[in-house]
Amino acid sequence: MDVKTGGFEEVAHTADLEIKVWGQDLSSLFAASAEGMFHLSGIEDYEDGFSSIREEISLNAMDYEGLLILFLEELLYRLTEDYMLFDIDKLTISDNFSLKAKLRGTQIKSYQRDIKAVTYHRLNIQETDDGYSVNIVFDI
Amino acid sequence: MVSIADLKQIAVCEWEIPVSYRQDMRVPVRLFASEELLQEVTRDKSLEQAVNATSLPGLVSPVLVMPDMHQGYGFPIGGVAATRYPEGVISPGGIGYDINCGVRLLASRLLHHEASPHLDDLATALNKFCPSGVGTGGRQRFTTREIEEVCRKGSLWARSAGFASEQDLRRTEQGGQISGADPRHISPRSLQRGSSQVGSLGAGNHFIEIDLVEEIFDAESARVMGLQEGYLALQIHCGSRGLGHQVCSDYVKRLQSAVDRYNIQLPDRELVCAPMDSPEGEAYLAAMACAANYAFANRQVLSHHAREAFESVLAGRVKNWELSLVYDVAHNIGKIETHTIDGTDLEVCVHRKGATRAFGPGAEDLPSEYKKIGQPVLVPGSMGTSSWVLHGTEVAMQRSLGSCCHGAGRVMSRSKAKKTIWGEDLKARLEKEGITIRAGSMAGLAEEAPAAYKDVDAVVDTVVQAGIAVPVARLKPLVVIKG
Repeated sequence: MDVKTGGFEEVAHTADLEIKVWGQDLSSLFAASAEGMFHLSGIEDYEDGFSSIREEISLNAMDYEGLLILFLEELLYRLTEDYMLFDIDKLTISDNFSLKAKLRGTQIKSYQRDIKAVTYHRLNIQETDDGYSVNIVFDI
Repeated sequence: MVSIADLKQIAVCEWEIPVSYRQDMRVPVRLFASEELLQEVTRDKSLEQAVNATSLPGLVSPVLVMPDMHQGYGFPIGGVAATRYPEGVISPGGIGYDINCGVRLLASRLLHHEASPHLDDLATALNKFCPSGVGTGGRQRFTTREIEEVCRKGSLWARSAGFASEQDLRRTEQGGQISGADPRHISPRSLQRGSSQVGSLGAGNHFIEIDLVEEIFDAESARVMGLQEGYLALQIHCGSRGLGHQVCSDYVKRLQSAVDRYNIQLPDRELVCAPMDSPEGEAYLAAMACAANYAFANRQVLSHHAREAFESVLAGRVKNWELSLVYDVAHNIGKIETHTIDGTDLEVCVHRKGATRAFGPGAEDLPSEYKKIGQPVLVPGSMGTSSWVLHGTEVAMQRSLGSCCHGAGRVMSRSKAKKTIWGEDLKARLEKEGITIRAGSMAGLAEEAPAAYKDVDAVVDTVVQAGIAVPVARLKPLVVIKG
């Protein structure tokens, strides 16, 4: 599955940070959301590409929005606790709101901004003519 | 969007959005704002978010919004809401991710002119002794068992570990320890994140500041607080770090299903909540208390480090460099308090999200020296502008659930601030004004520029006009440490 067919842009928010994300399917939407979150974290310094560390994660939720939050929180936890940045090799989302991801990680030296949390504020994955879109607010 | 036409003025600087505004409102919204500030608050979604908060079950009085209000997530920042204890709900999103983010003020007997040759060294020492910045932990790593102890005991742990005095504890809201904390209700990830961050400032809007007590407005209250014109003071603004963020994230997730179970309809999922007498509500109260205690301990350890920094620079050079705590107050928290509502004393949970407790004279939780004057209320300004020390009033007890503003409040998005303000330029400008800056990141500094905030003097003027606080002293920044 191609997870590179989505994108994101920053939306103005008075105090926190918000991104609008789009993807042609749920997998690309989730992948673009992760990319957007890493962008907001301000990661600059990578070591040796995304090949050395491989991991798989499986997550379950009650709905797609809950699944998106779980997925982003997992990546955020690994970023802040282990200084690990992940690239998504393969992402499969099932209609029972479960997710399997194959990840390639790399160690980072630093990031520029602490994201406190991924919020549920007005979080609503919507179907569009081109696939899916969602706005995500991060607490800073 | 709520417009000014939807607001009804009910008193000086006090406005109401009536329940007729939207069908799902259980109580009105009351906001404290001057006419000038009203123009600003109707520009973002803060009032819409306050209207959303009025849908929480068990509210016993209007949802209040302070004049430093701005758009948040779920609740607006500056929001205050009281739910009946224990059958009403508690909403983790109505408290925020940085549980017990708060401010403390320490006073000194150090005159500005005596200290001024040493300010640059003090800035360097504070920066060295008090760890700050993105991803930076404290000076010590603690075991899980030790972090559980921090969560249970808060500032009491800090005292037993040699970081606090008896006076520090007495002058901290609730003695620096919220009862009912039970680490069994917080996740291993929370404990893990907490293990390395005790005594660390973090980044974002958190800061340590050396201030000059520039002007005194209430001589007697200032005397009781130990504040004198021309002397230095120190402020510390930070919270419960990753442990608190994880606790809130865990419970916002966990309570998503609880709202269905308790048949609660909400306009925004970030507002999820559970009755305080339900298993989920009880668990969150115990977990929130853990994070709140962690934050009290964190600010206490940072105070200890700040005292070490002062000692390292000033001992033997000047007299009277000791720092004594004026007060430590939370501005993101849920507190079980008794308030008189419609003539009846009710036990309620007051959610304060970006709002400071401002108890009036005689309140039970206050140390004896503050019972006469009312609780010190700390309102830090934006970097480069004044901060204010106020005290709570009887009017606050009657009109604002003993609550007041917590700062200036943002008006400009971070992305716009970064696009229009260069960190290096800002640092140079502030240093030209005589403010010494130590910042971990220039981009971070730009996001926190004074221009991104409201005029703190106008915010304070509003709460004073509304009668919910009385000005005691104005502080001017001399040294600002940011992560």
